[in-house]
Amino acid sequence: MESLEYIDAYFGGEFPPEEASRFEKRIQEDPVFADEVAYYLGVLSAGREANRTERKERFRELYRDGAGMGRTAMVRKMGPRKWLVVTAAAAVVAMIVMAWLLYLRPADPSRLAGNYIRENLALLPVKLGREDSLAKGINLYNSGKFPEALQQYDELLRWDSLNTVALNYAGIVSLRMENYDKALDYFIKLEHYTDPHVNPALFYEALTLLGRNHTGDAERAKKLLKQIVEKGLNKQADAQELLGKL
Amino acid sequence: MAIHGSNSEKDWQIIGLLRQRGVDKRKGEESLFSEYAYFIREGIRKHRLSEEEAFDVYSDSVLAVIDNISNETFQGNSSLKSYLYKIFHNKCVDLFRKNATNKNSVNRALSIDEELFRLSDKSRSIVQTLIEQADWKLLKERLEQLGDDCRRMLLLWSDSYSDKEIAVVMDYKTANVVKTSRLRCLGKLRQLYQVV
Repeated sequence: MESLEYIDAYFGGEFPPEEASRFEKRIQEDPVFADEVAYYLGVLSAGREANRTERKERFRELYRDGAGMGRTAMVRKMGPRKWLVVTAAAAVVAMIVMAWLLYLRPADPSRLAGNYIRENLALLPVKLGREDSLAKGINLYNSGKFPEALQQYDELLRWDSLNTVALNYAGIVSLRMENYDKALDYFIKLEHYTDPHVNPALFYEALTLLGRNHTGDAERAKKLLKQIVEKGLNKQADAQELLGKL
Repeated sequence: MAIHGSNSEKDWQIIGLLRQRGVDKRKGEESLFSEYAYFIREGIRKHRLSEEEAFDVYSDSVLAVIDNISNETFQGNSSLKSYLYKIFHNKCVDLFRKNATNKNSVNRALSIDEELFRLSDKSRSIVQTLIEQADWKLLKERLEQLGDDCRRMLLLWSDSYSDKEIAVVMDYKTANVVKTSRLRCLGKLRQLYQVV
């Protein structure tokens, strides 16, 4: 194992130039050592190929499940009489669809959530004079660097997993990135450790469910929003407004 | 890094996920693949590839983009769609030409180019010759035969996870413990590989 540790240190960039030269010289003068280096790189290559194969198998499953099918286009030529009939039918259908869109359709939960996020969470408030990690995360968020902002908050949470501000902001960043499952994790955790009269975890949980819009999510969101309104919890006015549109 | 072109918010989401680890990175990979999988039809229609060939080329293109985002080769000078399409188109043309001329090429060791090019020309030549002579099929079989933990650790390591990141994913105490285990796994695999 000694050789492997030495080889690992070289490829890990741990050697100063003199030691790197000695490493190279050993490859040239010691065939057994050269073979160990070839083996080390061989395992790296085999591992990368295995990872690549695994990814391609996942992609194949996605393709089998219909990924990309919805965006193919076929062009067929039609005779003029058929064109007239099709055009007339299309016009009638379009009128029905417009009427439904304008007057009958219930609000789409995802769109409601998206509108709220665009109007209220485009920027996070900056506290002047503050230069800590939280402030750094806010600046990153406000600059549109969401992955970096999330990294900042996750780092804070590694040191203090119950930091309520970091939990809140990590949830909001995840929501902006449409990583709904992760956002829910943060908000549910926040909900359990703070007073709902003070923190907006329940409201953001509802917002995330609306955004995700899986089966049953809209109903769960409505229940949460009603709870917020009835008990006068944090974000009561916003909850009331969303309920009015659902 | 600013993304130019349309769909920049979607691009940001995918890039953000691809820069994470674990489940998030998988989601990013699958989002990227699914978002532009209709390119496969383009490969069949425009470049006259079979469906299997077009799927392979598209998958390889997606994997190339994933690598280029991870190593920051992709600078965001174009949208993800344009970037991916350029790679895909070039690979389709290459494959079409290869099919037309019946050339066979062996794609060995491209995945370790970066490591090989750290060595001087002389050392690299020695190591490359040894690599070409080795029985890689056997090594891959032995890798499959390793215990689950060792196999997983070596796969994460070859996927550019640091020892610190592996410690988090596999619930080890410290990066040093991972390093010791990883080297032990490499030694174990070496013994399996040497037994015929």
